[in-house]
Amino acid sequence: MKKQIMKMALGIIVASAVITSCKKDDTPVPAPEPNAEEVITTMKLTFIPAGGGTTLTYQFEDADGPGGNAPTQQEIVLAPSKSYAVTVQLLDKTKTPVSDVTVEVAAEAAAHRFYYEPTAGNNITVSGLNNDAAGIPLGITSNWATGAVAIGKIKVTLRHYEGTPPNKALGDPVNSTKSATDIEVEFNTKIQ
Amino acid sequence: MKFLLSILFTVFITGTLYAQSCNITITGHVEDADTKDKLVAATVLIEETGKQIVTDSKADFIFNNLCAGSYSIRITHIGCDTVIKKITLTKDYHFDVVMPHQRGVLGIVTVESQKGIVNTGFKKEITGRILEETKGGTLAEALSKINGVTILQTGSTISKPVIHGLHSNRILTINNGVRQEGQQWGNEHAPEIDPFIADKLTVIKGVDELKYGSDAIGGVILVEPKPLRNKVGYSAEINTAYFTNNKQYVVSAVFEQQLKKLPSFTYRLQGTFKKGANATTANYRLNNTGSEEKNFSATAGWKKSVFNTELFYSHFETEVGIFIGAHIGNLTDLQNAIAAPKPNDVFLGQNTYTIARPKQDVVHDLIKSKTVFFVKEHKFSLLLAGQFNRRKEFDIVRSSTNKTAQLDLNIKTYTQDFSWEHPKKHGFSGTAGLALMQQTNNYSGRYFIPNYVAYTFGGYYIEKWTKHEWDVQAGIRYDNKTINTTRLKFNNDTINYDFNFSTVASSINVGYKINDSWKANANISLASRAPHVNELLSDGIHHGTATYENGDIALKPEQSVHFTSGINYQNKERTFLIDALLYVNSIDNFIYQQPFPDNPVLTIAGAFPLLKYTQTNAILSGIDLSGMVKITSVLELNSKFSYLHARNKKINDWLILMPANRFNNELLYNFKDGKKITKTYLSVEMVNVLQQKKVPSDKNGKQDYKEPPAGYNLINLNASATYTLRKTPITLGLGVRNLFNTAYRDYLNSMRYFADEMGRNISIRLKIII
Repeated sequence: MKKQIMKMALGIIVASAVITSCKKDDTPVPAPEPNAEEVITTMKLTFIPAGGGTTLTYQFEDADGPGGNAPTQQEIVLAPSKSYAVTVQLLDKTKTPVSDVTVEVAAEAAAHRFYYEPTAGNNITVSGLNNDAAGIPLGITSNWATGAVAIGKIKVTLRHYEGTPPNKALGDPVNSTKSATDIEVEFNTKIQ
Repeated sequence: MKFLLSILFTVFITGTLYAQSCNITITGHVEDADTKDKLVAATVLIEETGKQIVTDSKADFIFNNLCAGSYSIRITHIGCDTVIKKITLTKDYHFDVVMPHQRGVLGIVTVESQKGIVNTGFKKEITGRILEETKGGTLAEALSKINGVTILQTGSTISKPVIHGLHSNRILTINNGVRQEGQQWGNEHAPEIDPFIADKLTVIKGVDELKYGSDAIGGVILVEPKPLRNKVGYSAEINTAYFTNNKQYVVSAVFEQQLKKLPSFTYRLQGTFKKGANATTANYRLNNTGSEEKNFSATAGWKKSVFNTELFYSHFETEVGIFIGAHIGNLTDLQNAIAAPKPNDVFLGQNTYTIARPKQDVVHDLIKSKTVFFVKEHKFSLLLAGQFNRRKEFDIVRSSTNKTAQLDLNIKTYTQDFSWEHPKKHGFSGTAGLALMQQTNNYSGRYFIPNYVAYTFGGYYIEKWTKHEWDVQAGIRYDNKTINTTRLKFNNDTINYDFNFSTVASSINVGYKINDSWKANANISLASRAPHVNELLSDGIHHGTATYENGDIALKPEQSVHFTSGINYQNKERTFLIDALLYVNSIDNFIYQQPFPDNPVLTIAGAFPLLKYTQTNAILSGIDLSGMVKITSVLELNSKFSYLHARNKKINDWLILMPANRFNNELLYNFKDGKKITKTYLSVEMVNVLQQKKVPSDKNGKQDYKEPPAGYNLINLNASATYTLRKTPITLGLGVRNLFNTAYRDYLNSMRYFADEMGRNISIRLKIII
């Protein structure tokens, strides 16, 4: 009997020790670690007019990544009947220093592809997309030709191929189920 | 389910001959007083006639053709005190025997055995044959053998149980006595438990839920291992299985021993290895649907007459691939994938065990100590447990050199439970307890839920009263939960939210045995579930469904009033059984994800439909029917039907993602035992799942991407035989799932948008007990 009481007492001591050892202020909420993952915040298009003139830049930016504050987006304004050499740049501004994601896209050209889809009547023609090593369009650089004054839209899409090997082919449409969307931004355009 | 199993008698003394004056039958069931486990191979002796039988695999026994008169029935089982029951027979008689463990002194006790219903309330379990047939599958697949339980899947590798339409954090899973604190945030988060640990899987609703929490709105799942060995010596069991569809193989082994020199000490070691390659649907193989599981557990027990203690450690580790064609960049991609009749060929056809992105790596460690001691007849127990859960999710990322997980959650939980059971007196038995929990979460990578520290403290009191035909139970529980959270904003500021929730639950259950054939039961439970961190604070893109999920910090606890009522009948020959269960679960502040199709979230990857955690008042009601007919002594038919009606009362519409109504019929042929070959059977099962038509309407915008898939019918086969080689039983089992290789999709599988379910799968199982 004595032994039993001893054991019971022991149990109660253990239990009370546990109960008292977990007061709330003992464990502060651990501080979160910054996200090391890539967050593409910005897509920037740089327009160099053929035959000289001012270089133009237009961008889509979502500084805090998906969700939170709404992204900001500029309207692409170009001059009529002109040709522009266009370069696309992707940035991760959540990192310090700012990380240029375009470099990695270029390094994995066989698994990436940009598409430019102007809406009918916006009087913009996109051609001359640069190719990957296999001669299939990559599209980091392109040529944009403008016509008469017009307004419209253009959709810029970056697709990447998930398969191994990627099986990227010339005829792949933008909505190919072989590839998935990394970026899809629709800009308003104005030729004036 | 229990009653279905409990009638599979293998012991029939004399068939169906009935003498005119001596045609009384005694039936009974034997279980362990402490663990409530079925006691197989207990000896039951009628002292007056000398007739002696051994309980069957369901711990049931039956004596036929007895004459009226007085009898003494002696029940013995190794490690238990002998029980003598005195009865006077005038008509058929049934009794349940509860065997007390030997407490040091060898002696004989004459107990008043329970006449009422031992297991009241909703309690259904899977053991024996049915559990064997599911070996090698997931825990949820095994549980889905219970009528009323269905599964929610992400492909063929991730599945979680759904009880009467409710799942995830509305169900508590009790793994070997410990409330599982894993990660049940989403539909693609499966319970982190090795099904091979279980000797029995039980689903309960009602008063006993209160021992585990006030938040078991959907029910409680108990995963129970066999009790530790009770005699000196050792035993081992090896289970292996191979599945043809995905070339999956499983090896699981258990070894346990009680030392001769130290009979108080018993230990058990257990391990499972499982590996599967890509799964095949009826017409194509899905890339990246392999899985691998490495589990291990060790138990050590120390047992003395008034004191016993047990230490348990288990490690669960899994790597699961998710079908690559189901990873979605944005809404446009999803719509394209859904519109396609089958996935693009680049995602099909690889016959490999390799697992690539997207995948999940989950590790769950549990360490537990349970100590039980008796002071006079009062039983006290102290349960201490630590759980360490790490979930890593690897999304498809743009850069192929990225090796890190995009979602990394690390949850540590410590629990302390102290309980007291008072001795049974005047038909009353009862228990009270205190429960404490401390939990921390750390995230890195993509934000899904914040870092948090949560504390819970709670207490319960349950009292049970049994007399003659009546069995009444009632209980109450209170819990208080504090959650302190912090997350990082993009500019390295933190956002902190603190919450405190108090929840109360109570339950009352009345069981009545109308006569030897009819039993009735009614239960009312009030339960209350505090919102979980993901419901309060999730914020981000869900790549599996191309949605933007948003929590709501204003959510209040869910309040459920749950009524269940069951009735069952069995004839005295136990050749016909029927069981009906009716339930109505009215849940106020029911938390669900409401689509807001008019407010897409614009991101650099396009627009994502918004899903926001919202509260409504819901009512889930349904019927589960099951029955068994023994057509001849060797042939029986088992039938099940379950029906669910789930309404969102606030908008007067159906609730989304609820299981469709279904039928299940099985014809079982038991061969007569031979000299060497025993327990031979062959069964044919037909599963009919109807199309789910009760889905939210589109009057408030589109609520789902695609109509629920059509209903389907599957034929499954199972066969097994046990051969005894020099006292070593060797059981060989054969199973065929989806015999006709039917191409179908299931509404509760998130892959329904993209690909068919698994095609024909033939399995071979081998079990050796040494």
